[in-house]
Amino acid sequence: MRNYLRKTTSAAPLAVFRVLFGLMLFGSIVRFWSNGWIVDLYITPHYFFPFYGFEFVKPLGEYTYVLFAICGLSALLVAIGLFYRVAMISLFLSFTYIELIDKSTYLNHYYFTSLVCLLLIFLPAHAYFSVDAYRRSGLLADQIPAWCIDSLKLFVALLYLFAGLAKLNSDWLLHAQPLRIWLPAHNDLPIIGFLFNYSWIPYLFSWFGCLYDLSIPFLLWNSPTRPWAYVAVVVFHGLTALLFPIGMFPYIMMVTALIFFSASFHKELIRQLGNWLSIPASFLWPKRVYTYQPVIRNFVLGLFAIFFAIQILFPLRYLVYPGELFWTEQGYRFSWRVMLMEKTGYAQFTVKDKLGHQTIVNNATFLTPLQEKMMSTQPDMLLQYAHILRDYYTQRGFRNPEVYVDSYVALNGRLGKPLIEPTTNLANQQDSFTHKEWITSFHDTIYGF
Amino acid sequence: MNQFRWKQIGLICAFVAALWACGGSGSDTPTPTPPNPTDQASSDRKAMLTNIADNIIVPSYANFKTKFDAMVAKSDAFAAKPDKTTLTDLRQAWVDAYTEWQKVELFDVGPAEQYTLRNFFNIYPTDVAGVEAYIAAGTGSFDVPASYPKQGFPTLDYLINGLETTDDAIVARYATAADAAKRIAYLKRLTTQMNSQFTTVYTAWTTGGYRDTFINCTALNAGCSTGKLVNGFVLNYERYIRSGKFGIPSGAMANGTVAPDKVEAYYKKDLSLTLAKTAHQASIDFFNGKNVKTGQEGPSLKTYLNGIGAKDSQTGKSLVDIINAQFEVSNQKLAALKANLTDEVKTNNTAMVAVYTEMQKAVRMLKVDMTSAMSITITYTDNDGD
Repeated sequence: MRNYLRKTTSAAPLAVFRVLFGLMLFGSIVRFWSNGWIVDLYITPHYFFPFYGFEFVKPLGEYTYVLFAICGLSALLVAIGLFYRVAMISLFLSFTYIELIDKSTYLNHYYFTSLVCLLLIFLPAHAYFSVDAYRRSGLLADQIPAWCIDSLKLFVALLYLFAGLAKLNSDWLLHAQPLRIWLPAHNDLPIIGFLFNYSWIPYLFSWFGCLYDLSIPFLLWNSPTRPWAYVAVVVFHGLTALLFPIGMFPYIMMVTALIFFSASFHKELIRQLGNWLSIPASFLWPKRVYTYQPVIRNFVLGLFAIFFAIQILFPLRYLVYPGELFWTEQGYRFSWRVMLMEKTGYAQFTVKDKLGHQTIVNNATFLTPLQEKMMSTQPDMLLQYAHILRDYYTQRGFRNPEVYVDSYVALNGRLGKPLIEPTTNLANQQDSFTHKEWITSFHDTIYGF
Repeated sequence: MNQFRWKQIGLICAFVAALWACGGSGSDTPTPTPPNPTDQASSDRKAMLTNIADNIIVPSYANFKTKFDAMVAKSDAFAAKPDKTTLTDLRQAWVDAYTEWQKVELFDVGPAEQYTLRNFFNIYPTDVAGVEAYIAAGTGSFDVPASYPKQGFPTLDYLINGLETTDDAIVARYATAADAAKRIAYLKRLTTQMNSQFTTVYTAWTTGGYRDTFINCTALNAGCSTGKLVNGFVLNYERYIRSGKFGIPSGAMANGTVAPDKVEAYYKKDLSLTLAKTAHQASIDFFNGKNVKTGQEGPSLKTYLNGIGAKDSQTGKSLVDIINAQFEVSNQKLAALKANLTDEVKTNNTAMVAVYTEMQKAVRMLKVDMTSAMSITITYTDNDGD
């Protein structure tokens, strides 16, 4: 172990990763902004769904633009490696803040991006091929501790493994759900569209996707298989980009997978880029080793140990909850469960009180279509919304309003059923990490993880 | 990359095959139900959209145009010579056109959606005070939301059925009253407004090229035909049939407070059940793809859902059968009602609420089970499916 921690490796892969990651995040911010999503998702809504424990994160109204500007600028600074440490912290904080504002925008790849930012704060990604290193020659180094790059690889490997494990269930493998629903929706694509009318195609995609997730970390880590594995990365994520509205995720994964490539591959990239930018060879090949101060190194290693322990345990937390994970979603988020469910719902709320007030709520007056869609299938959001209604109608003269929901949720091709006990007054229930008794029990069995 | 030899390719293949084999033998859970072979022809959305455009939407609009034009002619005749005969003629033509309208209101897609056709034809209850103010002023915008309950069939209903209690008295309001000329002018304005809104929508389909746009936009995203069509269809069923015709008047949606005056065609009294039944049947026929001209079923939501093998994965029952069975239950509840729904709300409201309750079950199936099975995107931003 001690020997491993002393081992050094080329700084080129981390530097290339820093540049590409920064540019891609900057691109994502520009895309998000130009699509008008800042308004749609963070300014238009009247109400927001903060994460449990993060209720202090508030929407910023018009200032959301400032937040995005900070985030985009930080991403650019990270890419060129200027004021790296400050920019990285600012990128992590601003990006994470944005993602914590509203649960209905939760995406696994945003969570992934936040955590990569967190790791990068502590890694010397600016020691090489950066403006910082250019300005402070004492910083410049082309060798860094090997664990710095390995920790990123380990993190990516965990993501794929958990994503793969989550696919080992009867819906995915035996019923090809939800791909069986999603793929025929693309049967009008040119050239390949007709394939999606065949019933064996969703099975092929399901099994390939599962095997891909479970095996790709090893195939990327192992140098003989790496080029082929990368072809698989491009094909797999390219296909998902073509078929599903998942935005930047495929490209993030394509870029991230490059971290597995050899030092020589990345040095070659740097050499080409250096030539093109006429950068002096002494800057490109300084032959120096980056070393942490021992105290800082031990601190960072301790932090990473805790980080990875959490990363391994957190996706497994669903095991301590009773009931079917896909139905209750207790322990579903932050666990690399991607593309596993076609879940659609409908939730009609009734608010009433002992004075005889009673009303049926039109969700559209409180929520955006996206929020309503997300709320209607996720129990913790249903509860948050019930509390929004409770508070709203208290203001409107209801005394101690009771809130009931008539919910109806269809999961992976099963006919819809109520998700929430219709007789539970949600106004009195509190969110917590304990099991939510008022979720109905699932009417079927899904085997596997 | 020349260091990568065939040996290594073989290695990868072997590795993948081994993983595959392990995965395969590792599953000792019950054998899956054999997948239904997807019927290629039925899951062709272009064929479905073509049938819906050519055999349902456009001929339905054409049928409506016939009835509507006849009503405008009778309205003009009444305006030229207000008497009991022309009033009776106008009323009958209004009944025919209003009933036919129920067969096109559900097509909330394309030009009808763009120009919000429904707003100019069927927003009720009528804003009587607003109508009278418009008549007295002799002017007033017909394009602002506040003006929607001052026009269309419900306002005509008030003007030809609800002004007075006897026909003689109604005719007198157009023939001899001090503001008779203004009232006649308003009648004319109403039919002109309806005509111009409908003509815009209809010509977009027939000569404006929208039909081709419609059948060629086959993707399932929110901007394309299938998604819009289904969204409009379900919205109409939920908000304008279930709620508008039953939920609101019966008080099922508001604390049990009945609102008999919010029944459709309130002044005509005996038409409301016919309108509701017609609208409900139009929804059923649309779902099943019934050709308006021949009555034969063609490519439709029904055949598409069957084509993609939509069924309750627990019981294996076809989703189409489940939905059609629920439509039938609603039909039975409708059959128990008498012609005047205002009276039903007052004396037999349990039967009104029963219709609402059954339609509510169909709404869930259409809104959740059907859209889920069809993978219709209703959001406009990224999602990763979780």
